[in-house]
Amino acid sequence: MVHYKLIYFNLRGRGELARLVLHHQEVAFEDFRFEREEWPKYKAGTPFGQAPVLEVDGKPLAQSNTIARYLARQHGLAGQNEWEQSQADMYVDCIYDLITGTRPIIYETDKEKQKEILQKFLKETVNPHLEKLEQQLIKNGTGFLVGKSITWADLAYYSFFSPMTERFGDSVIDNSPHLKKLVEHVANIPQIKKYVETRPKTTL
Amino acid sequence: MPGYKLYYFNVRGRGELSRLILHYAGVPFDDFRFEGKDWPAFKSKMPFGQVPVLEVDGEKMLAQSHTIARYLARQHGLAGQNDWEQSQADMYVDCIYDLHGAMRTPTWETDPVKQKELFDKVNQDTIQPHLEKVEQHLVKNGGGHLVGQGLTWADIAYYAYFTTPIMTRLGGEVFSKAPQLKKLIETVGNNPNIKKYVETRPVTSG
Repeated sequence: MVHYKLIYFNLRGRGELARLVLHHQEVAFEDFRFEREEWPKYKAGTPFGQAPVLEVDGKPLAQSNTIARYLARQHGLAGQNEWEQSQADMYVDCIYDLITGTRPIIYETDKEKQKEILQKFLKETVNPHLEKLEQQLIKNGTGFLVGKSITWADLAYYSFFSPMTERFGDSVIDNSPHLKKLVEHVANIPQIKKYVETRPKTTL
Repeated sequence: MPGYKLYYFNVRGRGELSRLILHYAGVPFDDFRFEGKDWPAFKSKMPFGQVPVLEVDGEKMLAQSHTIARYLARQHGLAGQNDWEQSQADMYVDCIYDLHGAMRTPTWETDPVKQKELFDKVNQDTIQPHLEKVEQHLVKNGGGHLVGQGLTWADIAYYAYFTTPIMTRLGGEVFSKAPQLKKLIETVGNNPNIKKYVETRPVTSG
């Protein structure tokens, strides 16, 4: 049995997708979390001075999407063939860009300014993306982003849009009924539900 | 042989890695480039209104620059020899994706003085610390390649990033602490297929 140690802040952030993949596939792992103040202690030991890092029997792997992709591929959540795997990669890359887009919002301390930046982000980036995404979901016709069954791409969209709606309201995905349904579906998967109910409560 | 059509602007930017992979592997493809003014006509046809996009056999479309490059690398033997190596390569290319993001602001700055300032800051804050780590890993891996014992798309990604026009113009000292990586990048550049493509590709600002 391979030993996984996922090393990340005690946040969801860029570590959560890997955690969701492992919980969905019911794969045991060490969910190693540290507080922000402890980071300097661990930083030098990481491959590129960043987290998350996944240790696989002690061998380190860095970069959040690389980690989640590796776990998805090892545990049957990456797609049924090479084309599906690439489709899943594509969707997860879209989420990576959206996460990056939220950074100025999250770090803005002025509430009024934060609201402005959020509205701009939703209007110029999120909504156009969601319009295309709805078309893709309808075209695929299965309720899932890729192929006929769940992949890490679906978990990535859940992982991004669930906190977005919690924090900024349901209106974020109101015009995306297929995505809304998908996010709800993932939220109700027993192993995901159980993990979400018991995971540490964190702001991000 | 699948029919590939790569849609992108007539720049290197985020399309170049895929072009380099295909040229390195000797795989023919339709290198479809359009000018900025023609973009609106193509935008609505793209899966997410963005490019690059790879169209395969005239029917399936794949978006996202690194997804496309990974797909091509895997199809043409440049992704690594096993699952672990493939992930190591993914990891390095993800690092390059972040470095691209960091270099965006300097790249688009038109004032040359301000551009140098911005470049130096990105170099100091982001690129140098990163290269320090990469050099350590490269030496530990035997000095020849980033992943395993042969060339992967990760090596090509570092070559592509560190030979952009802005890097060529302002990045003279960027490898002062990374001699092995400098050598690796030169080796990629000296590959006959890469060399031939680079000599004949359109000359673009980015």
